[in-house]
Amino acid sequence: MATSLARISRRCLTPSLSSNLIRRHFAAEAVAVATTTEAPKPKSEVTPSADRAKWDYRGQRQIIPLGQWLPKVAVDAYVAPNVVLAGQVTVWDGSSVWNGAVLRGDLDKITLGFCSNVQERCVVHAAWSSPTGLPAETLIDRYVTVGAYSLLRSCTIEPECIIGQHSILMEGSLVETRSILEAGSVVPPGRRIPSGELWGGNPARFIRTLTNEETLEIPKLAVAINHLSGDYFSEFLPYSTVYREVEKFKKSLGIAV
Amino acid sequence: MGTLGRAIYTVGNWIRGTGQALDRVGSLLQGSHRLEEHLSRHRTLMSVFDKSPLVDKDAFVAPSASVIGDVQIGKGSSIWYGCVLRGDVNNISVGSGTNIQDNSLVHVAKTNLAGKELPTTIGDYVTIGHSAVIHGCTVEDEAFVGMGATLLDGVVVEKHAMVAAGSLVRENTRIPSGEVWGGNPAKFMRKLTDEEMAYISKSAENYINLAHIHAAENSKSFEEIEVERALRKKYARKDEDYDSMLGIVRETPAELILPDNVLPEKTTTRVPTTHY
Repeated sequence: MATSLARISRRCLTPSLSSNLIRRHFAAEAVAVATTTEAPKPKSEVTPSADRAKWDYRGQRQIIPLGQWLPKVAVDAYVAPNVVLAGQVTVWDGSSVWNGAVLRGDLDKITLGFCSNVQERCVVHAAWSSPTGLPAETLIDRYVTVGAYSLLRSCTIEPECIIGQHSILMEGSLVETRSILEAGSVVPPGRRIPSGELWGGNPARFIRTLTNEETLEIPKLAVAINHLSGDYFSEFLPYSTVYREVEKFKKSLGIAV
Repeated sequence: MGTLGRAIYTVGNWIRGTGQALDRVGSLLQGSHRLEEHLSRHRTLMSVFDKSPLVDKDAFVAPSASVIGDVQIGKGSSIWYGCVLRGDVNNISVGSGTNIQDNSLVHVAKTNLAGKELPTTIGDYVTIGHSAVIHGCTVEDEAFVGMGATLLDGVVVEKHAMVAAGSLVRENTRIPSGEVWGGNPAKFMRKLTDEEMAYISKSAENYINLAHIHAAENSKSFEEIEVERALRKKYARKDEDYDSMLGIVRETPAELILPDNVLPEKTTTRVPTTHY
């Protein structure tokens, strides 16, 4: 009922020849007005390419090898499907990389240690060189929890740390073992967060030392997230079955499968 | 031996058929909770009604990025993984040689509280760091927006200015040329040295080269990916040091060599820090 109504209304409303002419005249006038009143803008010419893909049914590849570097994911590590691992990235056993994270090891290495986790929407990158002069690779050691939305760039995080959500660790920073960074902290380049302390703020400042109980909780958090990632891991089949949908799709378009 | 080959082939087919049947049984057991995989409907370049993006053929847009609406991207620019450039209510124009790094958001405001129309203009050779949020701003040529920075409506970042990482720049702030502003709310921190200003332009150039590599890699067809995977597997076990000890020089295949201009030349001068 609705479709037939739409069809009828479309046929009635399509303009006749005369109204077409009128519309074209107005359009030309509008263009003339526009060009005369527009101030000359020194805009660079954008030459679009005719065959740029607007939409790729494959989506974004999770693992992007660059040259000889192939990101390596351990067999029991959970890496969410919309994560991008590019270049020299190694995700070790028991660790997890959650949705929307981008680990871009195109300039230097990125290592995610045993039972660590990089939570949602983080960006882990490695710069060309670090201001400390040490190798600019990003090393996240074992039992580290990197909170959601953090940005890590060429930093070293020693074992058993917690990096709060939305924190920013800049080039060359070092977070020593068993320390906690509060949410939203910004660690300037080349700074060191000493062992067993709680730091926070922008720029990160000392808040207090951690008690022994709190220090013992840190690896427990990492292990808890490891258990959680196990649930997510078991949701996915070892090989994708998307090929069946592709076949259905092709059949509906009449392309030979 | 033809019949033996044929027999093995048939057995292989039986096993695959059994596997598919088992898959169906397993799906039945899972019932309504079973995982149904679908094709990705994510659209990299998406138009909103009549506003469609205009992207130069030389620009790299990562497949997981979203360029929506009235967005113009110039030559040599790169939009990295996970970015969202939403030009739905107003216009976004990104110049040439600019890089908008991973997970950033560029949005525009039709009118804000003050009632102004704010298109977002990002000039040439600008570096916008990871996870930056740019809302209705003007960023002029060769500026540097640090990672995690949030630039609110009406902010103007002048040429060669730098916004430090993690800063929150309030509405209608003007960041003058050659200065570093940072913090929450963003305040003047210090002036940039000439070396650092040169570094900004150099880093934008480096990113252009890097973008070419990523663009080439992301646009590979399935066959190319498979060929390279096989090549990589073959060369994974070969260690250069061991080979040189034996006196063998093995050539890595051409597909696996990155162009030279990506990795930096080994220089002894210390690279200036980006902020602070």
